Amino acid sequence: MRRLFQRQLLPFLLLLPALVLVGLVLGYPIVQLVATSFQQLGLFELLSHHVIWTGFSNYKTLFTGDQFFDSLEQTIFFVLATVGLTMLIGTGVALLMNRVGNTLRVAMTVAMLLAWAMPSVAASTVWQWLFESEWGVVNYVLVQLGFSGYSGHDWFASQMSAYGVITAMIVWQAIPFVALSMFAALTMVPRDLFEAAAVDGATPSTTFRQVTFPIVRPIFMLLTVFSIIWNSNVFSQVWFLTGGRAEVLNVQPLGVWQYIVAFSSNEYGLGAAVAVVSVLLLLLATGYYIRRMVRTGMAPA
Amino acid sequence: MTARMAGARSSHQRRMTWLWRAVAVAFIAITVFPVYWMVNSSFEPNGQITSLTPSFFPVHFTFQNFVSAVNRPYFWTDARNSLIVVVSAVILVLVVAFLAATAVTRFQLRGARSFLVLILVVQMVPTTALVIPMFLILDKAKLIDSFPGLILTYVALTLPFTIWMLRGFVRGIPIDLEEAALVDGCNRLGAFRRILFPLVLPGLISTGVFAFITAWNDFLFANVIMQQQYRQTLPVWLFGFVTNTGIDYGGLMASCTLFALPVVIFFMIVQRRMISGLTAGAVKG
Repeated sequence: MRRLFQRQLLPFLLLLPALVLVGLVLGYPIVQLVATSFQQLGLFELLSHHVIWTGFSNYKTLFTGDQFFDSLEQTIFFVLATVGLTMLIGTGVALLMNRVGNTLRVAMTVAMLLAWAMPSVAASTVWQWLFESEWGVVNYVLVQLGFSGYSGHDWFASQMSAYGVITAMIVWQAIPFVALSMFAALTMVPRDLFEAAAVDGATPSTTFRQVTFPIVRPIFMLLTVFSIIWNSNVFSQVWFLTGGRAEVLNVQPLGVWQYIVAFSSNEYGLGAAVAVVSVLLLLLATGYYIRRMVRTGMAPA
Repeated sequence: MTARMAGARSSHQRRMTWLWRAVAVAFIAITVFPVYWMVNSSFEPNGQITSLTPSFFPVHFTFQNFVSAVNRPYFWTDARNSLIVVVSAVILVLVVAFLAATAVTRFQLRGARSFLVLILVVQMVPTTALVIPMFLILDKAKLIDSFPGLILTYVALTLPFTIWMLRGFVRGIPIDLEEAALVDGCNRLGAFRRILFPLVLPGLISTGVFAFITAWNDFLFANVIMQQQYRQTLPVWLFGFVTNTGIDYGGLMASCTLFALPVVIFFMIVQRRMISGLTAGAVKG
């Protein structure tokens, strides 16, 4: 009896609060979301609690229109750019932290903590201010450096340039988490492995590829998967940074487009369909790695 | 011959060291600049900020922007609301996530893997899409405009990632320590409390920071769930500032500074433990 309690009942009891919370507060809304994607639900239906089932009609609208594929393409490029840059620079910074002395390492840590700790509402506002066309410091510095064309330059005038600023800001705020995690992982690589590699005459790049990276790969993979998930659904930074002009500029990755469909046009059913499709696509993109992470048990913090 | 080679090599190394230092300094400057610029602008009088030559130091130092920011309606109320909601949510999510992480790592629980995959999938749902269904369910439970409603929302939103992170930390701690405690006559729960909990504390702290930032930042849910002005949180207040004031950049930057301050202080207090523990147990499979 006691053994049974300790083997199955106790862990179940420990898991119970999480199950209840995820089930009620997230599970139920998600079920409702999926149901909504098969309904015609506008403001009228929402307020009058009127349910109209329309089958796959929302999905049909989605796949026959142009905007979905446009948004999908934008999302793919955006995620590739932000996750690629973040992981590349983040890992580079972690390696750099290993190379410099104590003082510089602490300074780097504090600098990154400051950037990371900045709430995204505040960060977006500050970046808007940095790139402001008339009084922004970026244009000022560029003009001082001799690029006089940037006097009064509007960074949010075109889709590409707006994406550039958004990417820069996202990468700036995402690097600290990746760099500090990778640095922590690097410090766990046993020192004698490096010494052995040095004795064998390995070049730094060979050492990294053959010794260091295989050891930190689990954490690298986890960070990549979570970055992909987060950046695919990015909304608030884009929304605040463009000051609500996302639709006009056609800066509409799926997370933003979903919001515009649901809240600007009040088509909640169609918005829900967008959300369901983006989750399925995300699963398709990351499924292999998630399975590996869970299966091999190499699912680190 | 060998001596000369060694000399050449060390001078090369020295040059590389200086190169790395330069790169590090450049990186620090770029990383800190937006934060510095926010603080700098918040100490500048408004006429100075919107001049054609921005000054890189607050020459005309003033506290005026901060005074006007905190004197705007609802600042203190919303700051208090934010603190109550976020701190409660963080404590709650840490307790629940720690129990769950222990359950999936320390026992041969059937369905543990499916549970982990499931909550990762839940994390993929765009939060913007959850606003309306979440509002509807809280409305049914009569939790609109209440602290528990928003607290539950934040717990639910941060729980999936929190469980994954803590799972990594718990795995990293050798089970032998708890087994030794069991042999010494401790029961299973006692072993968790006396042995596992203190060891996993750095993990709890860094996970807590993550949950804190996510909840402290949230605008979307607070905006919908808290409809009365005296119930709103700071991000909603800040957003109102952005849309209402036009070009009062000084006041805006001062507000942003005040808004970021608690998070920065919290970070500075816990950062040592956090970084040492951030990926504890990550490398060992």
